[in-house]
Amino acid sequence: MLLRRLITVSVLIVFIVLTSYTITALNVLGELPPRGLRPLALWFLNTSITPWLNYFSAMAPETVTAIVWDYRGLDTLFETAVFYFAIIASIALFRGIEEKRGGGYVGLSKIVRVVSRVLLPINIVVAASIAIHGTITPGGGFQAGSAMAVAPLILIIVFSRFFLKEKGLSKNLLIALRGAGLVGIGVASILALALGLLSGGYSFIFQNQPKEAAPTGLPPDVLGFPIAGTLFIFNICEFIAVFAGFTIIFILLSIPEDVAREALHGEH
Amino acid sequence: MLEAFFTLFLMMLLSLISTIAVYLAVTERNLLRAVLFSALQSMCYAFLYYILMAPDIVLVYVPVSIGLYPAAILFLIRKTKECE
Repeated sequence: MLLRRLITVSVLIVFIVLTSYTITALNVLGELPPRGLRPLALWFLNTSITPWLNYFSAMAPETVTAIVWDYRGLDTLFETAVFYFAIIASIALFRGIEEKRGGGYVGLSKIVRVVSRVLLPINIVVAASIAIHGTITPGGGFQAGSAMAVAPLILIIVFSRFFLKEKGLSKNLLIALRGAGLVGIGVASILALALGLLSGGYSFIFQNQPKEAAPTGLPPDVLGFPIAGTLFIFNICEFIAVFAGFTIIFILLSIPEDVAREALHGEH
Repeated sequence: MLEAFFTLFLMMLLSLISTIAVYLAVTERNLLRAVLFSALQSMCYAFLYYILMAPDIVLVYVPVSIGLYPAAILFLIRKTKECE
C-alpha cells in the first residue's frame, strides 16, 4: 500500500517536473513567462496615475485597484452581485432556524481565549488598513473584507456564536450592514453620472475620472490622501459587504445540524 | 545569481510540497486530516504567489484559503461524518 502511494506520488512529481521543463525551458508554448511587458500591461501601468493624461487615467497609485474598480469596474460589480446572491441563497436555506441560548457550550480554554483577545484587535486593524489604503498599496475591499471576516470566525470558534450576538453582531445587523455596503457600491457607481446630469453635461455609469466627452469626475485626492475618486468608496463598501457576507455564512454554518433538522421538521 | 537560484529552488520545493499535499488530501479517508493537507497546499500556494510578486492575490488568498475555507469545511464536516 505504502509502495503504491510512493509510486503514485513519484509519477505525479515526474510528470509535473517534465511538464514544467517543457513549458519553461523548451518554450513549447512560446516564451513563458515573457521577458518584457505585454502591451496591455504597459497601457495600464502608463495610465493608472498620469495627471497629464487625465482623460485616460484612473488616478490611482495602485494599478490593480484601478483595473478592478475602474478599467473593468462593471465586471467587479457583477462579481459582487454573484456573491450577494450566493449569500441570499444561504440565508434562504437557513430561514427560520434560530437557536435559543443553552447553558452547555462556554468556548475553548482560557489560554486560547486570552490569546484571541490579544490577536483579534491586530487582525481588525490590519483589515481596516488594507481597505483604507486599497488605493495606494496592494489590497482592496475584498481582501480587507475576507481578512476582517476571520475575526468573527475566531470569535465563533473560541467564544461560541452567542458571544457575537451578545456583543450586538447579530445576523440581522449583518444583513443590514451588507445591504448598506451594496447600496454604497450602487451609489458610487452612479455618482459621477448624477453629478454630470446635475451640471447639465454628459457622463457615464461607473465613471470615475473626467473623460473627453464627459468632463465631470470625482476628485483624485482629498486633503492630500489619494482616494482615486470612486475607488476609495468602492473599497470601503466592498469591505463592509464582504465582511458581513462571510460572517453571516459562518453564523449560519455554526448552528448544529440537530437544531437545524428540528427547525426544518417543525416547519411541516 | 545566488538569490535567483535560491528563489527558484524555493519555488520548486513549495510546488512539490503542494503536489504531495494535494495527493494526500484527495486520498485521505479522514476528512479532518484531508482539510489540514488542503490547508498545507494553500499555504504553499500563498508563498508561491508572494514569490511571483502578486501581493493582491496573497492578501486575499491567505485569509480565504487558510482561514475561511478550512473553517467552512470543518463546520460542514461536523454536520456529517468525520470519515468517508
